[in-house]
Amino acid sequence: MADARSMTPAPAAAATAPAAGPSLLRGITLLTVAAVIVLPLVLPSTTLAAEILIFAMAALACNLLLGYTGLLSFGQGIFFGGGAYVASLLMIHLGAGLFTALVGAMVFGAAVAAVVGALAIRRTGIYFVMLTLAFSQMAYFVAYTLSDWTGGDNGLLDVPRPPVAIAGATLVDLSDPAVYYAFVAVLFVAVFVAARRIIHSPFGSTLVAIRENEGRAAALGYDTRQFKILAFSLSGAITGLAGALYAMLLNFAPLSNIELVMSEHILIMTIIGGTGSLFGSILGAAGIVLLGDLLSAVWPRWMMLLGIVLIGVVIFMRGGLWGGVESLYDTIRARRAHRRTAP
Amino acid sequence: MANVYVFQVLNGLGLGMIYFLISVGLTIIFGLLNFVNFAHGAFFLLGSYLCYTTVAWTGNFWLSLIAGPLVVGALAWVAERVLIVRVYHLPHTFHILITLGIALIIQESAIMIWGPVGKSVPVPELLQGVVRFGNFAYPQYRLFLIVFSAVIGLLLWLLLERTKFGALVRAGSENPEQVALLGTNIFRLFSLTFALGVALAGVAGVLSAPLRGAHPFIGTEVLGLAFVVVVIGGMGSFSGALVGGLLVGLVQSLMTSIWPQGASLMIYGAMAAVILLRPYGLFGRA
Repeated sequence: MADARSMTPAPAAAATAPAAGPSLLRGITLLTVAAVIVLPLVLPSTTLAAEILIFAMAALACNLLLGYTGLLSFGQGIFFGGGAYVASLLMIHLGAGLFTALVGAMVFGAAVAAVVGALAIRRTGIYFVMLTLAFSQMAYFVAYTLSDWTGGDNGLLDVPRPPVAIAGATLVDLSDPAVYYAFVAVLFVAVFVAARRIIHSPFGSTLVAIRENEGRAAALGYDTRQFKILAFSLSGAITGLAGALYAMLLNFAPLSNIELVMSEHILIMTIIGGTGSLFGSILGAAGIVLLGDLLSAVWPRWMMLLGIVLIGVVIFMRGGLWGGVESLYDTIRARRAHRRTAP
Repeated sequence: MANVYVFQVLNGLGLGMIYFLISVGLTIIFGLLNFVNFAHGAFFLLGSYLCYTTVAWTGNFWLSLIAGPLVVGALAWVAERVLIVRVYHLPHTFHILITLGIALIIQESAIMIWGPVGKSVPVPELLQGVVRFGNFAYPQYRLFLIVFSAVIGLLLWLLLERTKFGALVRAGSENPEQVALLGTNIFRLFSLTFALGVALAGVAGVLSAPLRGAHPFIGTEVLGLAFVVVVIGGMGSFSGALVGGLLVGLVQSLMTSIWPQGASLMIYGAMAAVILLRPYGLFGRA
């Protein structure tokens, strides 16, 4: 069961998280809301800010599996790319509205993730990882083969961005990037708050119990299989939503959305951000999207830096960026306490 | 008409032997060190590029066949000493992450050095002709590839099964403390094993360069296929890597003219099916 516990890089953070008082919970949520408001103000473009939140959503979903359930999935690209395709196809071929498209992507993501999850969790450790990798590759080749639907290598072009509408009456037109950012931000905060509530519910505690010691959780009478599949569905739904929002942002659903590299990318954001806390996923996504945006023009090979950071995180800072922030906070507090008690 | 099939079967064997060389390195590292190397495809890529550079500088392919694996093996040895030795004791997840980082660094360095567009490598002059059997002709280089890989495979088997080094490595994988107590530097043994496994990916990279050239993004594809082979054959199984490699090579070669994406779908489907139905592979030990 070593691998079930594999991503517990910040045991202290993980252990205290479920027991954290309501004030700290509210603190993190406030921090998230603040981050969402500040992002577009400090960044050069709202499109970039929207991209950050979309990938933060995908990383957060990955974190639910990796950080809280102990499942390293190379299949996140299936749900991301799948969500993008389903939302786009619903809008293009059936003239679906915004909410139908987004809900469609979420339902598709959840359903595919349930199937992938149900099969993959039949094995543990490296074999589990290999299964998610195999499914990821299969999904890519299916998307490539169905080029009449997906556009194959060229991607799916002319993806619309319909307005927020009720019964055909347009309420908010999303074609302005700033307005679209606000829309994504509202969805992001909703997903974040929901994910936090789920993590701190008995369901979330059971997931952590499975991560820590699956045998014990099973011995206590929990059907760990069912819990893992549910965690997968949840992750798939959120990732599918992120994929759909990304397609609307770009007005385009490229094949690269569903490639193995996308799964790796989401995974790396999650790990660099830190798996001990959901807020870490925001840090990871923001850090990497920003790094890419700032550096790609100056230094096209900035991904090398990502490799170096990844190695650094594995060797020196297994809690990721958020783990670093936390231990810094702890050190400062300990020093202050020490100063106060010192004569 | 039958000649077309013979041609494709031979192509499949050649491709399969390349897959065997890549995968046997991966499987040795997994079987003996219990380490999951996600940088294996990147080291293959490096082998191909080293072949390109050596041929471009000296015009000598044979030199690249020696220099390529040596350089790749040496880099792997350094990576093992500096980074990987720190994570052996951690769960597989960390093996995957750290080697993913190494793979990214190698891939991006390759693009920095050799540019984002692939390079092609000429077939060595000595092997540019064809071999004729009656009215059937087959490229010499592809035949050489099959024979050379088979020889390497045989030597490797002898090394692992019939020499003291092989015995030590196998003993070390069973019980490292015991071997260390008997006076062997177990860390050096592990470093050498890792370098050897990765050097095999380097050999495969060099051998495949005259056929497929060197491309910066081939690492991920090769890694995926290597894992398919290793999983189908059973992780840690030497003969499994051979049979798995040939199987994947033949399927790819026979499907190229019919439905190439279908080949990949089948291959990855087979991988999933093997893990679900026969988790220790067709040849692995439970």
